[in-house]
Amino acid sequence: MSIKTALFATSALLLATSATAYADIPVGHLADQSGATSDVGVPYAQGVADALAYINSKGGINGTKLAVDTVDYGYQAPRAISQYKKWSSGSDKIAALQGWGTADTEALTGFVGKDEIPAYSGSYSGHLTDPTGKGPHGSKPAPYNFFYGPSYSDALRGMLMWAAEDWKKQGGQGKPKYVHMGANHPYPNAPKDAGEQLAKELGFDVLPAVQFALTPGDYTAQCLTLKEAGANYAYLGNTAGSNISVLKACQTVGAKVQFMGNVWGMDENAAKAAGAAANGVVFPMRTAVTWNAEVPGMKTLKDISKISDASGNAYRPVHYMAGVCTAFYMKEAMDWASKNGGVTGPNIRKAMYQKKDWVPAGLEGVCVPSTWTDADHRGMTAVNIYRAQVTGDTGASVADLVKAGTIKLEKLTTVDVPRKPEWLGW
Amino acid sequence: MASVSIIPSGDYKTSYGSDTTIFPTRTSRNFAILGVILLLACPAFMDRYWLSLLIQIGYLGIAALGLNILVGFTGQISIGHSAFFGFGAFASAWASNSLGVPVALAIPLAGVMTTLVGLLFGMPAARLKGLYLAIATLAAQYILQDFFARADWFTGGTAGTIAEPLTIFGFAFDTDERFFYVALVALVVMYILATNLMRTRDGRALVAVRDHYLSAEIMGINLTKYRTMSFGISAFYAGIGGALYAHYLQFVSVEGFTILFSIQFLGMIIIGGLGSIMGTLMGTAFMVFLPEAMQALTKLVSGTALDTALNLKDNIAFLREMSIGLVIILFLVFEPDGLAHRWKQIKAYWKLYPFSH
Repeated sequence: MSIKTALFATSALLLATSATAYADIPVGHLADQSGATSDVGVPYAQGVADALAYINSKGGINGTKLAVDTVDYGYQAPRAISQYKKWSSGSDKIAALQGWGTADTEALTGFVGKDEIPAYSGSYSGHLTDPTGKGPHGSKPAPYNFFYGPSYSDALRGMLMWAAEDWKKQGGQGKPKYVHMGANHPYPNAPKDAGEQLAKELGFDVLPAVQFALTPGDYTAQCLTLKEAGANYAYLGNTAGSNISVLKACQTVGAKVQFMGNVWGMDENAAKAAGAAANGVVFPMRTAVTWNAEVPGMKTLKDISKISDASGNAYRPVHYMAGVCTAFYMKEAMDWASKNGGVTGPNIRKAMYQKKDWVPAGLEGVCVPSTWTDADHRGMTAVNIYRAQVTGDTGASVADLVKAGTIKLEKLTTVDVPRKPEWLGW
Repeated sequence: MASVSIIPSGDYKTSYGSDTTIFPTRTSRNFAILGVILLLACPAFMDRYWLSLLIQIGYLGIAALGLNILVGFTGQISIGHSAFFGFGAFASAWASNSLGVPVALAIPLAGVMTTLVGLLFGMPAARLKGLYLAIATLAAQYILQDFFARADWFTGGTAGTIAEPLTIFGFAFDTDERFFYVALVALVVMYILATNLMRTRDGRALVAVRDHYLSAEIMGINLTKYRTMSFGISAFYAGIGGALYAHYLQFVSVEGFTILFSIQFLGMIIIGGLGSIMGTLMGTAFMVFLPEAMQALTKLVSGTALDTALNLKDNIAFLREMSIGLVIILFLVFEPDGLAHRWKQIKAYWKLYPFSH
């Protein structure tokens, strides 16, 4: 082959690929695969990526493929912003964003609103639920922010309601003591005020918040504080990785506290890593079931899982499933948009409001029915509260441990958190 | 340092003025002007990726120059430079958001505010030297970082703060193509200022303090004054660089300004050449391009026979980080005087070609 032919062939190839690239629907995907929250960021991002690849393998959005660009931003908001700026300008402007953390999602709120790019985040910050900015707690308008699941604040409210009941059931004397724990970071801080406020109303004695970093470390001092203060219920605002350190340290010092994780605070991997220390931790779950459940939607999920695990044997944690649900809500909205004027930001947003209590097709029984309206982006206010049960040694693989019943995520109750207007955007 | 100054035969200097011109020859001046003109045309044919890298070199280069004035010219040390960079970023965002100062004025204002902070933290420099000074600047790094995370009124706390794009007479510099010119103008102005500074009495005093502080003092140079002043100038440059960064990204958050970033600044000036203004820019460009080059290299390697043979897969990303470290080490071993020195040697080689020895 002469140089000329080679050149011609490459340029023809380039032209062809760029031509198809423009016909696709560009989607940006921000993932944390190496940063402080990568312990849960990796399975969630895998869920999103697999789901989007699966959608493409089934013909994409009414025949148009999604051009997904997955970028690891290391949980650093500035990196997310600079990546977003690359995605949001020029001719290949993204139609939607699959985002991740609270700091970056909240920082991007103004940008996505201006650029009209729907952002589906892995952050469930209550601040993102107010599309009009009319919430009484000074929330900024977030018309293009969506997430699948109860907000951090609503999930905490649900757990506090459960805790108040639990205290009575256990025959506790006097006021139960509640403490908020987490890093000084937008993500753990997001539900802090909302939780402490409701705790007071429910008759808890609210202790000063206790800080621990987003990274695993020695948190014995924090646990001694809990023990001395006599805390009864503690909210863990961080992701599983650092929570495990706290759980283990508290077990060592003998602090008898009922821990309540956030949606990212506990999962099958964390239960394995923490072992007996994770036993009894309660946490809210976004999906209706876990991986081994037998519901119609699991068939689709198993197919999606084969995208990155050809053997089909991998056990996927709850975060993977939540990632798939989030991606599929976006997919259905895009389907509607493509039939109603084209896949553009404003159309996708409108599409999210078309149905009530809906579950994406194919995921029945997995995703929890959600409703978004143009005045309220609290998709879900029903909080499914689960308890982690760990019995025995957790040396085996997660799949085996779950099969043997050593690790069990047991459903306690569903708390319907009232959709109060004064809680919008808080 | 064996700096060979190559002056064409017959080009004699007859005054001190001509001895300290910015550009040693007319050709070098013309080349510099040509370079700037070529850069002016960049947005016309470069894509956003390259422009964003050049803008990065712009604002980082300004901040790195500040550090080089402190470390390379005055012989002090600072491992808290990123904190000053961050302070400039927050100060400019705060001035434009809370005080309503137009961004074009907020940027220099942020420079001045950072200078004051730099002078404050530079005070120990009047009495401390070497490792002790390094630890004192480490304190500045941590004090400021903690301040950023807690001072909600100033920085927005851990959530960070939005910075308005730079707007002049209603024209917003909010895209890479437009901001490129802002970064370029700022870079040229700040570099000319620094070059001129080094030609003044004050600049020479700084160098004297570096070369032999005792002799400098005997010659009547106020050590305390110049050491502290050097911190102030360094902080001013960091502040301006940080402010530009803030209004370029339009968002500032505490996460970015860690000690690692400070060490990167040190890396830039060491690789570029301590005590060299042009070297600072080279070192910055090197540090900005190196990760990108490594990224491109790892992309090439992934999926090839080499990848499967060594079973690299996910480890390729780590390989990249490691090779960045390796390249820096190799660089320091084989080119301890920095890129500026290498550049001079290359020039000398071609000037004397084919009779270079």
